[in-house]
Amino acid sequence: MSEVERVEYTPVSVRETLILMKDISELMIDLAYSAALFDSRELAEEVMDLESKMDSLVYVLNMNLMLAARDKDDAESLAGVAKVGSLTNSISDAAADIAGIVLNDIGIHPIVREVFQRTEEHLARARVAETSILAGKTVNDLDLAAEVGVDIIAIRRGRHWMVNPKKEIVLPEDVLVARGTASGLERVMKAARGEVDKLG
Amino acid sequence: MAEDKELFERICNDLVELKDTSEMMIDLAYSSLLLNSRYLAEEVRLLEERVDRLHTEFELRVLSSRCDVEDVKGLLGLIRMGVVTERLADAAAEIAEVVLRGGEPHPVLSMVIQDADETVERVVVGEGSSIEGKTLKEARIPEETGMWVLVVRRGERWMRPRPETVLQAGDVIIASGYAEGEEDFMKLVGG
Repeated sequence: MSEVERVEYTPVSVRETLILMKDISELMIDLAYSAALFDSRELAEEVMDLESKMDSLVYVLNMNLMLAARDKDDAESLAGVAKVGSLTNSISDAAADIAGIVLNDIGIHPIVREVFQRTEEHLARARVAETSILAGKTVNDLDLAAEVGVDIIAIRRGRHWMVNPKKEIVLPEDVLVARGTASGLERVMKAARGEVDKLG
Repeated sequence: MAEDKELFERICNDLVELKDTSEMMIDLAYSSLLLNSRYLAEEVRLLEERVDRLHTEFELRVLSSRCDVEDVKGLLGLIRMGVVTERLADAAAEIAEVVLRGGEPHPVLSMVIQDADETVERVVVGEGSSIEGKTLKEARIPEETGMWVLVVRRGERWMRPRPETVLQAGDVIIASGYAEGEEDFMKLVGG
């Protein structure tokens, strides 16, 4: 059982915090499914880290919402915001439960692997080679979503994870976790491993 | 044995649909919030009912499969996975409810530019429309109309838009974008 931390008030932008929470929750679903697909404790633990980060974010969000309410009209409209914040947290809790299946050795049934092959979206990961054409460019500049229908959902650099990377530069030795179409992913993974000199 | 294989196949199909539908619902629920679209929110609610039914069928099928003691853990994993998709769908439906509750939602909830005149439109792909038989990538809807495709509905099936999705006559395309792109969108898709 990990330590439960006390969460202190910090002034934050409610809007930015909500967007961050939304991004993290969506990322957690992808990472959690990846953890199940690859039966990876490492990814599952990453999901759990994000989950505890989410729990703190909800507290800070709610503190800021409480201070923002000046009258009953504020309270009425901010209640909706608080609700969305707590639901975003429910989404991340559900993702953490998938990670729990991996971490508690409950067992990944062969059907699960089959399911991932059939869903419209696939997940893959690959280490970036020294010679990869992806290396040295930012995730935004690569624009893989438009090029081949693939999103890089996370980059692991050593022990450090960058979730939902945008302006980050892809470096050799980075591990990319990506989501997208089967054909698009295959091209991106090949490019990451330095096996091709162009994406198309 | 043949029966087992058929059951395996059905469980697999159910879980694929549960997973895809729940993820799509989350996309649509957030979109309904950003665009303050009651229409999208209603769609999410309809999908939620569908997921509930599907989830029950899925659980019954998993429970009716004959298995050895060693398989039990794997089956538990399957059931837990199903529960997760159902919880994701519930959360999405509740987000949509915030929109349906009415009233002007708090400005921070519309995370898009405030004065943007954004709308949600749905158009049926017309028989003989120029995009019929094309993939979404080839149809170039965002490039031609400025509208962003949120979902493609084919009969009972809801699909998240993918570049290689081939469009058929009768598909319903739901897209969001600026009001001035609306007419181009109707023309391009409707044919």
